[in-house]
Amino acid sequence: MKKNTTTPISRKRFLHLCSRITAGAAIVAVSGAAVRRMTQQRDADYFWQIDPSKCTFCGRCEKECVLAVSAVKCIHANRVCGYCDLCGGYYRANVKDLNTAAENLMCPTGAIRREYVEDPYFEYTIDESLCNGCGKCAKGCNSFGNGSLYLQVKQELCKNCNECKISKACPSGAIQRAPFGRAYMLKDV
Amino acid sequence: MNGTKKRMISLLLPALSALPAVAQNRFPKPDFESGYQYPAFTYAVPDETWWNTVDIILLVAMMSVVALAVIRQRKRRPVFIVSIISVLYFGFFRNGCVCSIGAIQNVILSLTDSSYVMPLAAFLMFILPVIFTFLFGRIFCAGVCPFGALQELVNIKNFRLSKAVSAVLGVIPWIYLLFAVLYAVTRSSFIICRFDPFIGIFRMGGDIGMIAFGGLLLIASVFTGRPFCRFLCPYGALLSLFSRYSIRRISITPSCINCDLCHNACPVAAIRPPYENRVKESRMEGVKRLLAYFVFLPVMMFAGAYMMRTASDALSTANRDIRLYEQVVRNEINPRDIQPVDVEVFFSQGGTIDELESRVAKIGAGFKTYSTATGALIGLVVAITLINLSLKRTRKTYGIDHAACVACGRCFGYCPQNIKHKHADENCR
Repeated sequence: MKKNTTTPISRKRFLHLCSRITAGAAIVAVSGAAVRRMTQQRDADYFWQIDPSKCTFCGRCEKECVLAVSAVKCIHANRVCGYCDLCGGYYRANVKDLNTAAENLMCPTGAIRREYVEDPYFEYTIDESLCNGCGKCAKGCNSFGNGSLYLQVKQELCKNCNECKISKACPSGAIQRAPFGRAYMLKDV
Repeated sequence: MNGTKKRMISLLLPALSALPAVAQNRFPKPDFESGYQYPAFTYAVPDETWWNTVDIILLVAMMSVVALAVIRQRKRRPVFIVSIISVLYFGFFRNGCVCSIGAIQNVILSLTDSSYVMPLAAFLMFILPVIFTFLFGRIFCAGVCPFGALQELVNIKNFRLSKAVSAVLGVIPWIYLLFAVLYAVTRSSFIICRFDPFIGIFRMGGDIGMIAFGGLLLIASVFTGRPFCRFLCPYGALLSLFSRYSIRRISITPSCINCDLCHNACPVAAIRPPYENRVKESRMEGVKRLLAYFVFLPVMMFAGAYMMRTASDALSTANRDIRLYEQVVRNEINPRDIQPVDVEVFFSQGGTIDELESRVAKIGAGFKTYSTATGALIGLVVAITLINLSLKRTRKTYGIDHAACVACGRCFGYCPQNIKHKHADENCR
């Protein structure tokens, strides 16, 4: 007489099969949900970038970046600049003589160069290989000038960490993920 | 991915008009008389699409190679070669971001927070190893993951850890995974990325503490198999679930002669020797034990949930806004001449305490709910681990614990039957 009983082995196999189906269903469900999210929305947030309208030049970008020299650099918007002789980003506050003596200059690494254009204008350029992203010049320029010096993450230097360490330290939440179209948030448009 | 066609190697400036003009015009634009022209400039945006494609293709190719090697050919050499390629390419060349382990957080965040859009590469990095694990076991861990590969390559000696130690430490990945999810859904932090022990080694720079920890793990993995994979990796925990129920899988050589060599060779203690359970249990006793488990499980979950709920306020300090609020409150009670930077910035941006308070209350409430759920799951994990330890099933043959097996293939070289078969194959040819 053959009775329709379930032996321990077949019970085990049944549970195994159920679990297998659950696991497969979980993969399909998560993929479906994620794909729907990704297709119905805008470009993916891939790049880390500083929103200059939020940046407060606190100086943390210099220290917090995982790179030995921060991927954040100062950028100069020529079209915003006033080309002043007494530049708040180039000279420290209350300088006596407007010359290139180190004690007069704002930039600790000497990354800002200036060139005489015509009276009374000077053109300022940033040597990015020297810039450490401390933001001192940007702070000066924003307090006394047009704000043409500002900080941006240089995308070719940025390691694109899954979680930007600077963004966690930024006091104003200025560093956010941005899609490709906003990989740079430039001032001189 | 959306707008893939738009992707160019470099972006010309006029294309970027997304940002409103934020500059304050204290000084008027100069009128140049000497015919001065504004210097032209471009800011290059590296085209990562191409590299991401290479990443994904290599990921799939390497996983296929490992799957073929360990399931069909029962050989370790291809796994070894894949390990070297993985360490060099994914590790030292690509510097690890975004990796499959960290992508857990991106996936969770994108599922729970609609304001975050996940890159396709991150999703594929997450889901492809899961799919492959479901099909063939943990072949991603075998050597495709640069972390596993790195530990595997330095592993020389296998000191077996006691069952108690590995059981206790084995709970950590689950707790780590649950905490990673907790901190990701509350948008607090990506702890997997923050406490990544090997990324500093691959990048040859970074947080000194984590590099030191990574170094210690590597030294430990010389003497015992893959300490990170077994006792820390949250993705490994996730994959072990799918590996347990994988469709095709690595197996003990069919003509096993019970020589115990593979058991000794396994770096992750995934091969279980035969075992005879001499404790004879009556049916009634078994039923009682099962009932006890059914009581024990919810009790543990409840205890975990309660504990984590109590701790949720402390846990929530990982969130930036919560920390800011604490600083603001401290500053209100005891105002200092020089405010902390964060507080100063908060007020300078027109933030009000009321607005911050309501935001903090919302985040705190989120933390309460999620940490309660996390606690319940931690309780579940601990309870299941304990129940598993109390189960003693009789095994007549050598078996593989597929949840633990990382498919590294070290056992193949030790199996005399496997070698014999291989020689026979070669002789046939």
